[in-house]
Amino acid sequence: MSVEVEVNENDLAEMVEQVWESYLDPEGVSPLIPTYDENQPSEVHSSVCITGSWTGHVVYASSTRAARRAAGAFLAMEPDEVSEEDMSDVLGELANIIGGNVKAMLPPGAFLSLPQVVLAPETTARYPSASRISGVYGLWDEEPVSISMWHSRGDTSSTTNTTNNNKEGAE
Amino acid sequence: MTPMRAMVIDDSRAMRMILKRIVTKLNFEAVEAGDGKEAVDLLTAMTEVPELALIDWNMPNMNGLEFVMHVRADPRLREMTLVMVTTESEQSQIVRALAAGAHEYVIKPFTEGAMIEKLALLGLVPTGANS
Repeated sequence: MSVEVEVNENDLAEMVEQVWESYLDPEGVSPLIPTYDENQPSEVHSSVCITGSWTGHVVYASSTRAARRAAGAFLAMEPDEVSEEDMSDVLGELANIIGGNVKAMLPPGAFLSLPQVVLAPETTARYPSASRISGVYGLWDEEPVSISMWHSRGDTSSTTNTTNNNKEGAE
Repeated sequence: MTPMRAMVIDDSRAMRMILKRIVTKLNFEAVEAGDGKEAVDLLTAMTEVPELALIDWNMPNMNGLEFVMHVRADPRLREMTLVMVTTESEQSQIVRALAAGAHEYVIKPFTEGAMIEKLALLGLVPTGANS
């Protein structure tokens, strides 16, 4: 019997909004402006893997400038003072926070990995057996930021129902 | 008056910074640890036990739940107030942490105000410290 998983773009957008409100834009002056462009470029990304009742990845991707700005916001530093290590740490924590909240919406029995950070663009080559099923794509102070959810094709434990069309093979 | 001490345990330096900023603002002296094992080592070396620990769940070496169980098994540490600060937001996980001996649970992402409210509920800061 398969379990239907419902995590739609509105759910992701709500989580993203909470992250902005809590850490990246507590003053509420610089929100993520939606572009709905799933092909927008990225230069760095981080991800967490979810296994168990649902198998896949949650990926946070952005330009390097946006990543520096995010690290600056977390660490109360100017973006140009941020080291590569700081940027990696914050990218990992962002994937962890969003992935953890996604996991909470999945059927019981899902497990979250520690985050992985890659200071290189997000490409489908990194998730060769997964399909993007949902995402939030936007500009933060004119810099691209995206949060996406990828379902592993080998996962027979669940079906995934999202408001977005399945993007398998479209990358 | 001697300030209270808080131990901030998270494998993310950025998250430790955020938590440290909050507790420092509330006049705590903050000590950082990058995982449960490092926190245990620090506590072993300390002569005075911190009043508060803010603990992430998912960490390498020793996770937050294991740390809570370790603290609760040690009579020297029984007065510590333990607050889980984590993305683990499933009801079953919250119950596990509270059953293991955590006093409170804060789900990431959290605002500074929400964290201060939780600490006020625990009686560690005056009510209204957030205003």
